[in-house]
Amino acid sequence: MNLKQGIALMSSLLAFGLSAEAGAVCTQTGASQADRDLWNTHGCWQDFFLWQYKAYGLKSGDWSNRGWSDACNVSLEFPKHWNASYLLTYGMADNFAQSFHGTADYRGTAEAPNSNFHDSLYHGITDRTDVFGTFSPRFWPWDTDKVETACPLYNPNASNSNPASRAGDYMHEGWHANFDKYNIDNGNTGGHRAGPQGACTATGCDYFYFHGISKYVFGAMWENNGTASRFHSPNQVQVEFLCDVSDQSQWWIPLSVRQSAAADANGRAASRFINGPGYSCGSPRPW
Amino acid sequence: MQSRKWRVISRAGATVMTLGLMSGPVAFGAEAQPGSEQGSSTPPSRVIAARPLHQPPALSGTGTEARKSVKAFVTWAGQSVVEEQDDARKALRTAAKNPDLIQAFSAEILEAHKAGDSSRALVALGLLGEMRTYDGAKFLAEFVRMPLPTKGTYIEGELQEEVQQARLQAKAIAGIAYLRDADFDREVLYQVGSHPSVIVRAEAISAFLWNRGDTLDARKALEPFVRREELLFLDRVRRVSGENAETFNRKLSAYLKAHPEVQAPKPEPKAPRPPEEKPYTFDVTPPKF
Repeated sequence: MNLKQGIALMSSLLAFGLSAEAGAVCTQTGASQADRDLWNTHGCWQDFFLWQYKAYGLKSGDWSNRGWSDACNVSLEFPKHWNASYLLTYGMADNFAQSFHGTADYRGTAEAPNSNFHDSLYHGITDRTDVFGTFSPRFWPWDTDKVETACPLYNPNASNSNPASRAGDYMHEGWHANFDKYNIDNGNTGGHRAGPQGACTATGCDYFYFHGISKYVFGAMWENNGTASRFHSPNQVQVEFLCDVSDQSQWWIPLSVRQSAAADANGRAASRFINGPGYSCGSPRPW
Repeated sequence: MQSRKWRVISRAGATVMTLGLMSGPVAFGAEAQPGSEQGSSTPPSRVIAARPLHQPPALSGTGTEARKSVKAFVTWAGQSVVEEQDDARKALRTAAKNPDLIQAFSAEILEAHKAGDSSRALVALGLLGEMRTYDGAKFLAEFVRMPLPTKGTYIEGELQEEVQQARLQAKAIAGIAYLRDADFDREVLYQVGSHPSVIVRAEAISAFLWNRGDTLDARKALEPFVRREELLFLDRVRRVSGENAETFNRKLSAYLKAHPEVQAPKPEPKAPRPPEEKPYTFDVTPPKF
């Protein structure tokens, strides 16, 4: 096979692959109550989604049959994606005496630009149903790291199809990018330690690096000193974010969003940590 | 032969590529920026200000009317905010005298669960638990005892259908514990050790302790029911809304002192990768809220 033949074959496979990927979508029949309740606080704010797609490095080809041209249809993936971004961009209380971390930390982890939190990345989407999301590091220095979120965050009947859990996954995948920036080896099971082990009942496990409140100034969550005394794991960042949505979000955040965040945080904290459980949050009072 | 074969492949490839491009305008012919004809230019601060607070829908009626009333109430409660929690609690206290409403909440929970809308089911479970009624708690106990699904989609070794139901059952067990009734406490204690999901067992422990002011007596009463490998959950650090750093940090310090075994090991390094060549930069200032 000569070079031209190789290019032709690769192009065919690429085009076939792209069209197949573009043709498949997640379930687009509706949105959870939590998604709709948060949506009603902005009513499809155009200025935000026109900013968000650049802040998250979205590429039109990835999202075009998923609401790219129908950005106000909350049944579709792109509107759900930017609805979750809206939550983490404006929804945190940033109370230094009570929050684990602040908006600067959560935005820095989720958004695309190169920063102290991670190298440049962009958000794509996959039709996989066996993951919530993935992080794919760049292969070449001129490539860009990729975060993909998957259908269990978008299908309306899936447990994590709510804005807090979706944004929580941006934290999780963004923290894999943080580990690549700071050369941290967190294990070879999808970037986690193999499980079950210790208190972790899943197949991908992390350690919880306990820290008090007000121990990280806002914007400094990325810091680590190479020891367990100042460090975070991907599941931990996710739990702390979800706890902050539950207990330390803006007054106008709907209770359906807060309760979904607490349920995800508490379930994850009980099942994903080798040295767990992590903190619990939300109130045991039912309402 | 080989050359001819590759000519055929490359022509076929070109055809497939063309078809791929034609069938995939989504990938190549899409607009550069997203859009919608319904986009709003009103900032959320004004949208939020326009929503009237403290106006829950009436929670009343019998039969079909009760069902409609509960549906509207659950929808309102999901949208409601923290400062409206007392409005909901007040309405629920009055509604607790109406068995049709309790039945309607139970039906709403099952409907939301069946539809897979966990966020709505969580809201409805919370509201029913807050009512503190015998019939409501009886339903919640039956809900907690529903067998967990055994088939479905696995993510990182966790059956998602099981996790989804367990999160709802955790909310239900909190409602049972909130009744603070000796008979129903026995159910909570049973589930502390026997429920097949750690998510529910963990919440049962936390709710039992919280409803007794996290006292030493409550801990002693609970301990015999906790699985040996889960005794750590008795001391688990809980962060509650409004708790300040001083209180939380004191609890955390005590926990870490009592359980030095939870200290995580030192993170492990890996070989560095080459620096990225073209960092993405962007004006990160979002639109004014």
